[in-house]
Amino acid sequence: MKFLLYGGLVLLLVPVQTTLLPHVAVWGIKPDLGLVVAAVVGLVAGELEGLLVGLAIGWVLNLYSAGDLWLSLVTTAGAGLFAGLLGRQVAQVTPTILAIGLLFLSMAGGLVAVLSMKNSTLSDTWWMVQSVVVPQACFDAVLGAGLLWVLGQRFMLQRLGTFDPYS
Amino acid sequence: MRSPYGARRLALGLFAFLLAALFLFPGQSQGLLEYLDGPVGQLVRLPLEAVSSLDQGISNMWQQYVALQSVEDENHRLRQEIEWLRGQNNQLREAASATQRLTALLQFKEQALPTMIAAQVIGRDASNRYKSVIVNKGDSDGIQKDMGVITPSGVVGRVVKTTGATSVVLLVTDPNNAIAGLIQRTRDEGIVEGTLQGRAKLKYIPMLSAVKEGDYVVTSGLVGGFPRGLAIGTITGISREEGALFQTAELAPEVDVNHVEEVLIIQAPHGQSVDAATKPDGTGRSQP
Repeated sequence: MKFLLYGGLVLLLVPVQTTLLPHVAVWGIKPDLGLVVAAVVGLVAGELEGLLVGLAIGWVLNLYSAGDLWLSLVTTAGAGLFAGLLGRQVAQVTPTILAIGLLFLSMAGGLVAVLSMKNSTLSDTWWMVQSVVVPQACFDAVLGAGLLWVLGQRFMLQRLGTFDPYS
Repeated sequence: MRSPYGARRLALGLFAFLLAALFLFPGQSQGLLEYLDGPVGQLVRLPLEAVSSLDQGISNMWQQYVALQSVEDENHRLRQEIEWLRGQNNQLREAASATQRLTALLQFKEQALPTMIAAQVIGRDASNRYKSVIVNKGDSDGIQKDMGVITPSGVVGRVVKTTGATSVVLLVTDPNNAIAGLIQRTRDEGIVEGTLQGRAKLKYIPMLSAVKEGDYVVTSGLVGGFPRGLAIGTITGISREEGALFQTAELAPEVDVNHVEEVLIIQAPHGQSVDAATKPDGTGRSQP
């Protein structure tokens, strides 16, 4: 059952990320829904499921991007894994905590991607950081916090235990 | 039930294994996943095309019924443009017939027309770092990597990735793209690359070239999946640095790649069969 749920989620992510999200892009920047979903799965279902779902999302989304496969796999799977580990270490995971975590994860992934770009000068790298990496990280953080808040309203998130939207 | 420490160890171990495999054996590990690209691509095709056609329908409805405020002005402007183009068309027809006569006189071999396949844009790059579009034709339609992609107005980009049912087209405005270009007036060659700001530039123009703003840049047809003479863009600025060996020109792309909806994929740039064009033995197209 869980496998089907995750499979459906991964399949649905592709059209949402490639077809619908460009319409809500701000200054040409759209959030990385794959990274956000992998992090939320890691947080809710644990680091192992976060890692595996992140791997699947990274691989499938990379089929629809001109980017390198290794980067997509490492950043998305890493987001699932680290969110899972964060869920165990932090006493109370609120949307704000997730937003801060996602901000750093997205920035780290973006920086790795920018630094691995070929033939880019220092000014190109700086331009990419301030025009793409930072705005996208902010976007991801807001989206992740919103998603966790909605999930918290609808379901009892057992694994997190301490997250109570009414408190 | 697995203990949380066991799951953590397993997850960390898997992640370490993945990192090691990707960095130590990049070709093999990515090649392994590429075997699965085709079936997964076919599976993703259904929701992707469903959402894309829904999106297209809503967009069409908006354009045809709601956003009609500026239609009268646009209609007037387009009528004027048609008149101007008709005049230009007559002149070009004259020039073409003269060229035909001279070609026959000099016994030049006529250039064969390229073989093309039409495709629809169904999405944009999944990440923000690359400028690419997703089209609804893939491996099963005979699309392969490095094929050129155009619209009737000019060059859009080239295919960089394919699945069974879709392909990713890297746009001419992406900095990772490189297309052989030619300044139409001076016949100087260079390489067209995208810029981070979403425009394009022509690099490696000889210092002695008399290139100027407003010059047209077309494909040179020497390498890559494009025949000669397809419009790439217009030069909007030239930079000549002191001591440099070459000039660089800024280009305004001929095609508005951010709003392109239908494209043509060039399967054989010089009219030869697709098989011949894609043979790896060097008898077909060159690989960049």
